[in-house]
Amino acid sequence: MRLSEIPVEGIPYDQLKIEKYTCTPEYAERPADLIPSGARAVVVNPNRTCMPLGAMWATMGLHKGIPFVQGAQGCTTYVRYTFSRVFKEPATIATASFHEDAAVFGGRRNLIEGIRNLVVRYRPEVIGICTTCSSEIIGDDMVSNIKAAKAKLREEIGREAADAVDIVLINTPSFAGSHVEGYDRASRAFVETLATRQTGPNHKVNIIPGLLYPGDIREIKHLLRHMGVEGITLFDISDPFDAPLRPPQKFPYEPPGGTTATEIRDMANSLATMALQPHAGQAGARYLERKYGVRALVGQTPVGVQGTDDFIRGLSEVAGLPVPEDLLDERGRLVDSLADTFHHTMMKKVAVMGDPDVVLSVTRFVLEMGMEPVALAGSSVSKTFVHSLREIFEEGEFTGDPLVINGGDLFEFEEYLKKLSRLDLVIGNSKAVDIAKELQIPLVRVGFPIYDRFGYQKRAIVGYRGGEILLADIVNSILGYQYPDDRTHQL
Amino acid sequence: MSLVRMKCNECIPERDKHMYVTGEEPVIPSCNIATLPGDMTERGCAFAGARGVIGGPITDIIAMVHSPVGCAWYTWGTRRHLSDQYAWATKDRLTNVAFNRRFCVTSDMQEKDVVFGGMKKLERACLEAIRLFPEAKGLIIFTTCTTGLIGDDVQAVARKVEKETGILVFAAQSPGCSGVSQSKGHHDFNTQFYRQVTELRERRPELKMREEEKTPYDVCLVGEYNMDWDLKVTRPLFEQLGLRIVSVFSGNERIENLVKMPDVKLNIVHCQRSAEYIAEMEKEGNGVPFIRCSLYGIHQTSKALREAARFFGLEERAEQIITGEMARIEKSIAFYREKLQGKKVAIYVGGPRVWHWIKLMEELGMTVVAGLCTFAHADDYEKINAKAGKGMLVIDAPNEFEIEEMLLDTKPDLFLCGMKEKHLGRKLGVPTVNSHSYEKGPYAGFAGMVNFARDLYQGIYAPVWKFQWGLNGGGETTDAAE
Ligand code: SF4
Ligand code: SF4
Repeated sequence: MRLSEIPVEGIPYDQLKIEKYTCTPEYAERPADLIPSGARAVVVNPNRTCMPLGAMWATMGLHKGIPFVQGAQGCTTYVRYTFSRVFKEPATIATASFHEDAAVFGGRRNLIEGIRNLVVRYRPEVIGICTTCSSEIIGDDMVSNIKAAKAKLREEIGREAADAVDIVLINTPSFAGSHVEGYDRASRAFVETLATRQTGPNHKVNIIPGLLYPGDIREIKHLLRHMGVEGITLFDISDPFDAPLRPPQKFPYEPPGGTTATEIRDMANSLATMALQPHAGQAGARYLERKYGVRALVGQTPVGVQGTDDFIRGLSEVAGLPVPEDLLDERGRLVDSLADTFHHTMMKKVAVMGDPDVVLSVTRFVLEMGMEPVALAGSSVSKTFVHSLREIFEEGEFTGDPLVINGGDLFEFEEYLKKLSRLDLVIGNSKAVDIAKELQIPLVRVGFPIYDRFGYQKRAIVGYRGGEILLADIVNSILGYQYPDDRTHQL
Repeated sequence: MSLVRMKCNECIPERDKHMYVTGEEPVIPSCNIATLPGDMTERGCAFAGARGVIGGPITDIIAMVHSPVGCAWYTWGTRRHLSDQYAWATKDRLTNVAFNRRFCVTSDMQEKDVVFGGMKKLERACLEAIRLFPEAKGLIIFTTCTTGLIGDDVQAVARKVEKETGILVFAAQSPGCSGVSQSKGHHDFNTQFYRQVTELRERRPELKMREEEKTPYDVCLVGEYNMDWDLKVTRPLFEQLGLRIVSVFSGNERIENLVKMPDVKLNIVHCQRSAEYIAEMEKEGNGVPFIRCSLYGIHQTSKALREAARFFGLEERAEQIITGEMARIEKSIAFYREKLQGKKVAIYVGGPRVWHWIKLMEELGMTVVAGLCTFAHADDYEKINAKAGKGMLVIDAPNEFEIEEMLLDTKPDLFLCGMKEKHLGRKLGVPTVNSHSYEKGPYAGFAGMVNFARDLYQGIYAPVWKFQWGLNGGGETTDAAE
């Protein structure tokens, strides 16, 4: 029998006729006094998630690195689920499986047994122990627990094998910060525990990318290569979270790539550390500077012309190397693209949401396109977000007065957008999909999390080439939405 | 009886008692017990069971997650329990997704709330949420590890808020660490909801179904969560039979209808792991009998209709419906059966779907070579043993390593599993089908089975699997050998 012969291949939604019922007879304004996040206790549609996720993300970027979450199962399973949704990859993360007894007696036994069970089966090289709200409330003495876990390991698999496993503690109680801060704390915890001064300098540059996607990290490596700089990327998720389908795989499955513990050790001997997201990774860079005198360069994420210029300039300076012609050509191509498209971007009104560093760097880029930001929502509360935005506005000679949300929720953001008389575009992650659809304007996807479309985690928005991709996305979204007819035949 | 040992468990023999191969004598493995720390479990938390599985599908309540932000964020719009009740986005446009999946509402506890207690904040948050969402007919407070540990009395807050606003307010207290898996959360929700509904009906008898509204054919579908619109294919079957579905626990259901659960004549229980508790309580407390059923596959769906029909003396109509439905799907199913004949599948789900689907796979000519359950209890394994053929590997609360070994050992042509495991399967070159939220559902009932068969077919016959063996077709080694 052939497929074409069968009457139904299945029942698509349009055949199901789903009638929509309205909860209330008609639209009613939400009470104005409850719109600003600051005016209420309740959070509706949070723009951020919890701290352990950032620390798990970091640990997943290590070679043979496995996060171990000291808490109940949900805190781990939900994050694995989230990573799988976003990266379309497996995420091997262990949990201490707190049940009621741990809540009463503490999680010491869970940690000791858990580390043992994990190591004897998986033989990881690095374990990042992420605490959770529950273990922090219970008040587990993690330092002493880890010591006990190490002792147990030595007993079981011998001193040498046990000592080959680096165990790093990252305190991540969610009630004290977001996933962005979790990554930041991890950046410090790993270098603090592992980095060691060796006899001589290694002439390398440390890169702490922050919560950037595999595609972005690959683009950063491309820039380093062309500059002729050798780098150490801390938390290199580019291969673990974008692994090829290429059996036979190792058994058990071991994601390829990742930063090795040896590389982290060597970070103390580098020329400088460049943290590409001030809110996620700065802590590690600062620590290396204080402790080992490794210069910290903390700048905005290299998105767009000036963002990438800053990065390249910094790199050229710390490595003492000139910027090669081919990178200047790449820059030229991005500038050329801006010249080819500004008629479609200038004065367009745009709203940006996401992690603070994404909002900052993307805002800087849209100003380069002559767009007009009208609302900017940073996910995680930040001491510097508002000030940094002001600097970006000044640099871009932008005099508008957009709504700035520093750590508030998306409900406030969306209610504000709905009242605007005009908005052309939203730039942000998948949590903004409903907002954009309801406003019937395009959404350009950037940042974490993106789970409702394919491929965004694989491509870059950083660097000059990434800038061209993002610019094309923005321009094409505007064209598709505002010129549905044939006027685009002479673009 | 044959218990098995997997290679990966040589160093943690505690896991041995969780796995067996079906044979002459039925085995019940160790189940519903504590997870081994660090074993790379796939299990979730009790809160997930209460909030995600049962609370989530209710269409018109505010799900107030009393926790730091994460627990709430992770349960926002994830599971595909769809509903048809929409809020207004603007004056002339409805929201993009239905009310129950559009908003994530949480008390977002901060350090000071953890130190000084979160009840004040929770109360304020509830009152504000009720003002913000006039769409909601009720509010359920879900507790989490944090609020369980600090001991907030959310029941007291619930009563206070209900008094103040008149809106129905429930509490679902099921902190993540309170049980060994999601299953504890199902149980907690069932018992607490039953108790609170009973009290509510005493307090406010006007919420009961009025006598004149009742019909002799009133039923409730219990343990049906409307994954990817399953209800669009299953509900009409019962309605054509002449039954009136007063309430579904809890897929696409309004809270006011859930309060009327005790008013029906019969409960038809689909998911017998997560919701049989409430059916039992309805039977004991309110004298409502229940029947168990499966709405997957031709044989089982027909059986469900026949049994429901028998209860009400509507047998003839049931036969007509079955004949009609069969005529509709026969040819398509025959096509897929031809393609799927002889293929081997492994199924990894929460628990019940292993036994729900054994028969369905047989109907498509396939064999289940392995069945794995995250949170099954002894009765689930009894059901599996009753339905499985010989030689099926069964694993209770499997972990990632065991799943890999299972895939390598049993070599299924297809792996039915969840979001986390599917990418692992694919990396090992085994096609997968999302068995929780489905790929492109609905999968239930007669018509849904065609969708299911199609997705199984697509899984196995996708061209990609031909390319996975590298440039020279022999895997890595050949490529490197030049
Ligand atoms: S917010 Fe806290 S308790 Fe909730 S998932 Fe995150 S770490 Fe776990
Ligand atoms: S804190 Fe508890 S309730 Fe929240 S996700 Fe973690 S395990 Fe579940």
